[in-house]
Amino acid sequence: MNQPIIEWGHPNTDAALAGLAQEGRVHSRLYTDPGIFELEMQRIFSRAWIYIGHTSEVPKGGDYQLRRMGRTPVILVRGRDDEVRVLLNRCRHRGTQVTETESGNTKFFRCWYHGWAYDTTGKLVEVTEPGGYGANFRKEDMGLTPVPRVDTYRQFVFASLAPEGESLAQSLGGPASKIIDLLVDASPTGSIHVDGGTHKAVYKGNWKLVGMDGYHPNYVHSSVVAAWARNAEFGIGAMHREDPFVDAAPSRTRDLGHGHCMLDFQQHRLGHYEQHCGFLKKIPGGEKYIEDMYRAYDRDRAKLLIALAGDPHIGVHPNMQLIGNQVRIVNPLAVDRTEVVMTAVRLGGVSDEVNAVRLRQHESFYGPAGAGSPDDGEIFERAQRGMMAEVEPWVDLSRGMEREETDADGTLVGRITDETTQRGQMRRWKALMTGAK
Amino acid sequence: MMNAETLVNDFASPANLRDWQALREVEIFLYREAELADTHRYDEWFKLWTRELLYWVPCNTDDLDPKRKISFVYDDRDKLEERLYRLGTKHAHSQQPKSRLARTVSNVLFEDYEPARGGAVISRFVCGEARGGEQTVWMGRVRHTLVREEGRLLMKEKKVFLLNNDMPMGNLTFII
Repeated sequence: MNQPIIEWGHPNTDAALAGLAQEGRVHSRLYTDPGIFELEMQRIFSRAWIYIGHTSEVPKGGDYQLRRMGRTPVILVRGRDDEVRVLLNRCRHRGTQVTETESGNTKFFRCWYHGWAYDTTGKLVEVTEPGGYGANFRKEDMGLTPVPRVDTYRQFVFASLAPEGESLAQSLGGPASKIIDLLVDASPTGSIHVDGGTHKAVYKGNWKLVGMDGYHPNYVHSSVVAAWARNAEFGIGAMHREDPFVDAAPSRTRDLGHGHCMLDFQQHRLGHYEQHCGFLKKIPGGEKYIEDMYRAYDRDRAKLLIALAGDPHIGVHPNMQLIGNQVRIVNPLAVDRTEVVMTAVRLGGVSDEVNAVRLRQHESFYGPAGAGSPDDGEIFERAQRGMMAEVEPWVDLSRGMEREETDADGTLVGRITDETTQRGQMRRWKALMTGAK
Repeated sequence: MMNAETLVNDFASPANLRDWQALREVEIFLYREAELADTHRYDEWFKLWTRELLYWVPCNTDDLDPKRKISFVYDDRDKLEERLYRLGTKHAHSQQPKSRLARTVSNVLFEDYEPARGGAVISRFVCGEARGGEQTVWMGRVRHTLVREEGRLLMKEKKVFLLNNDMPMGNLTFII
């Protein structure tokens, strides 16, 4: 391991961190230094709004899913009182996880170390051999600890381990919320089911490498691009007609503020609206889907939503992405190890056949056996290894700095190959890590 | 037809001796399939399939409804052909260099198999993978549906139940 270049805990830590994240370039240590990773766990994953899950993942009372906020294990649970909570997966007695099963339905979370039991609201309902505690022991004070702040946006549940700070609405900001809507509103009933199954991929690289990059597809995914050249509707090719990943394309990179960013395919896909409708009409229920969308939304909105195919392609900082037909959670495991959990979405109010085609599209590109995800992971691992060379330690993120523009809604827009998105994420990183505005 | 119980209880009956021969034919087919997959000879491997086919590797669980859930792999003929085409290009980076593979196939038993027409066969596999300075062991159960066409055995369906199909994993881009 290379020697630390910052003395952690030193009064100048913030200044040193700021020096590593400059406009247009960042130091490789952001990706390789275990000390910086530790600080990220504290200053980002223990403070900021972290995406936990979608309420459709816990549809019935007693349903739960295990999730994590950085290193903190949490339970997303719908109590038998129908309220959705985020509770720490830690017995109040000796700290043991109270459930190990990834998901399920239960009446109680029982810690099998000494038999304490909590109900699905987190309330401590049983202490074994209770005579061992004095009068000061109050069961009502010893429930599973709720995460200090929980809030939802359109059924997406976010939580923050910090008791105070900006609200979820402030953190998402207006522009990012509107982009999240592009997934949910792809359903004519405005409802999605995040229950299409989960791909869990791991790569040996830093979590920030997941990024949001419109420059890489023609190179990292050149084998897939070659397959699209044979069959334009192969897999997710049906969404990416006529190469959206070149500067001449009307697709854009967009920094939505607060570290949220997107590959904006809205104009590109509107240009292929008719072809996409043709693709949908070949699927049973596809024609009805189009009609239902025009019934549910006004003309321009329906056209955009159909054309975009429920793919907002947004990264919600720090750990959520809505890409293609999936809700993606990025879990940092170590400075050089990351888990990416990709859960496929089914649109509400849509035929099984239309949803099945969307699931097959997802499978074709994503997951450990997909045509795309493993090549991303492979390249991230190559980057992680390469960044250990520090004679010239800077990672260049300057592409498009000279040509990006501020849009009417205040978002920053670049060409699709520009690093507008990465710069937005790094500005947020710097703000969260150093308290800078 | 032969299963583990009749094999043990009535080892050398004339009917079982015929079954031994049938089992040997199936085993050799599975060994050959394993050999072609291990050595990335995908053109030849693809010829082991019937016209209509399903190559299926479920994820999260062994049994799922593909209309409502994703799998790792759920390939019909066209999708499988695309998969092999992509792996054959020079820029499928997660197979550059290729995984070096060695798998053994064992515990072969008939589920519902007649030598004249074919049927379902269950087996176990252990597949060692060496790539990028690491060795990974993959294992699981496979259900092959075999069909006899013009005297030859062919695969109509191959469903792979990975032992770790609910766990995070790296790169499963080779043929398992």
